[in-house]
Amino acid sequence: MARAAAAPDAQGNPAPVSGARLVVEALEREGVRYVFGYPGGAIMPVYDALPGSKLKHILVRHEQAAALAADAWGRVTGEPGVCLATSGPGATNLVTGIANAYLDSVPMVAITGQVATHLIGTDAFQEVDIFGITLPIVKHSYVIRRTEDIPRIFAEAFELARSGRPGPVLIDLPKDVTVKTVTPEPFELSRREPVAPEASAIAHANTLIAEARAPILYFGGGVAIARAEAALHAFATRSGMPSVGTLKGLGAIPTDAPNFLGMLGMHGTRAANVAIDDCDLLICVGARFDDRATGKLDTFAPRAQVIHLDGDPAEIGKLRRAEVGIAGDLSDILDQLTAVPAEAGEWFAECQRNKLRWAMNYDAPGNGVFAPAMLKQLSEAAGDGAIITCDVGQHQMWVAQHCRFIRPQAHLTSAGLGTMGYGLPAGIGAILAEPDATVITVSGDGSIMMNIQELATIRRYRLPLKILLLDNSQLGMVRQWQELFFEENFSEIDLSDNPDFAEVARSFGIEAFTIDHRSEVNGAVKRLLATDGPILCHVRIDPRANVWPLVPPNSSNVQMMEQS
Amino acid sequence: MMNGRLVIAFRDEEGAVGRIVGLVERRGFELRGIAMSSDLPGDCGATGHKLTLDVAARDASRRLDVLDLQLMRLDGVSQVSTIAAAMESVS
Repeated sequence: MARAAAAPDAQGNPAPVSGARLVVEALEREGVRYVFGYPGGAIMPVYDALPGSKLKHILVRHEQAAALAADAWGRVTGEPGVCLATSGPGATNLVTGIANAYLDSVPMVAITGQVATHLIGTDAFQEVDIFGITLPIVKHSYVIRRTEDIPRIFAEAFELARSGRPGPVLIDLPKDVTVKTVTPEPFELSRREPVAPEASAIAHANTLIAEARAPILYFGGGVAIARAEAALHAFATRSGMPSVGTLKGLGAIPTDAPNFLGMLGMHGTRAANVAIDDCDLLICVGARFDDRATGKLDTFAPRAQVIHLDGDPAEIGKLRRAEVGIAGDLSDILDQLTAVPAEAGEWFAECQRNKLRWAMNYDAPGNGVFAPAMLKQLSEAAGDGAIITCDVGQHQMWVAQHCRFIRPQAHLTSAGLGTMGYGLPAGIGAILAEPDATVITVSGDGSIMMNIQELATIRRYRLPLKILLLDNSQLGMVRQWQELFFEENFSEIDLSDNPDFAEVARSFGIEAFTIDHRSEVNGAVKRLLATDGPILCHVRIDPRANVWPLVPPNSSNVQMMEQS
Repeated sequence: MMNGRLVIAFRDEEGAVGRIVGLVERRGFELRGIAMSSDLPGDCGATGHKLTLDVAARDASRRLDVLDLQLMRLDGVSQVSTIAAAMESVS
């Protein structure tokens, strides 16, 4: 039984408090430290209750950034990130960030102001049905109709956001509900207990592993959600099994581990994709056979039996039939998979040979900055504790291919939704979540313009974010696809009228510099990492550079295109 | 195509029907019939509701067993029974 805190009266009864005060107390009870938001009319009572609370409000310059920063906080800490906006446009501006969290299963609580209850449904000023708008992109949602329900609903929302398969939960707060004063009511919170894995399924999985001659481990973002990295790494080590990771899985096994073959899929390594094609047993851990990972699904791992482990029962067998499907706590399941493949030595050796044979090449002609090499150098110099957030496009794939990650929480990328504009707000959320970490945002000239106003937030709070802006004056990934799959019909990809990004950053009060020559890379990396405050390094790169390798759309993963 | 009837027990709260029906349509099923009853005994609790949906898959890749699990993921849904056959419409 829980009760919202409120100073008792002389008889020991809880004193009446406003709904807004109950909101703040509910957030404090959940241990919330930061609220990312932007005030406005309908949410003003909550903002009125913020001063003097334990909550630190981060005033962003666009509500989308509030949601994306909260998303990053959720990914790093595993606890729900909190964003706050007013009704109408404030609420709709959160939508992309909420969808981003939904697609990547990130814990988040999004709080929106709403017009007063008696005005709902009258097309009142700044009224939108944010509850209805977000139904497809939330794990759950509430419109609070009674002030007395605030403590219970907030407790439920946080529990839902973080439990099971995490996700965003929306709470819509009509203004009158936050203004009214009530005496808090006690409430009880029910929790869903995780289901224990069936012993027979574990035994079957162990049998398949023991008999496999060419097994491979395919892991995804579900490992980080379950915080099962240690169990996964232990399983991979004792079984000796080679592994491949999805974009969201990177770091769950260190990317420089000897048996890790790299990312699979559209921009994966050839060693990873070939191993999947040749394997006879595919152990899928916390991954969901996403189309960017599998390519043409009916050609994916065509000779393999599948063991599918996931925290979410609805993912098992959704796209690929599994011989053994086990839903539950991933660490618990992995710890029980103790079998070792007895006759897979030659397969393991073959995977190693392929890894060496098809290793990434960092030799590039010319004197211009070769982005993959610079990212590799920056990542290695930044060290194991660094966090890299990125935007969406070519640079996002280069980060995945060439940076080193030893934990999945160090790689913040918009994988499911592919949200251009994620990088800067994610950098804000990450640096607040781990203030001692070196946090680097890698962006592109298209993406950074989608949330460039957040340079003001970075400056305001003196966040020591290192921003690496790879500028090819194009929408590079679209250009690459138009070159390769649309007969070089380049349509609306030219961004050559970009502003001078270093000047823009300086105008926000952020140190910045530009490089365009390979000889400047060493100095740039050192300067980025040695600077105490926020800094932006603007890097001009070859507009014709492409991301390789590449699996063409609707193709098998082994039909990879390589740089000619 | 996979057609069938879903009988869904759920908790009565704001948006519950929209959430369920929306999920069914977004996951690739056409809604052919709908009926609702209230105050079910047993698993549904004192404020439980029951929604009966006749659905038809929009393409051959859509499976009712997967939809069943996706519905069970919704907070407030306590039980889903699936009958994978063409039924006389409930509407």
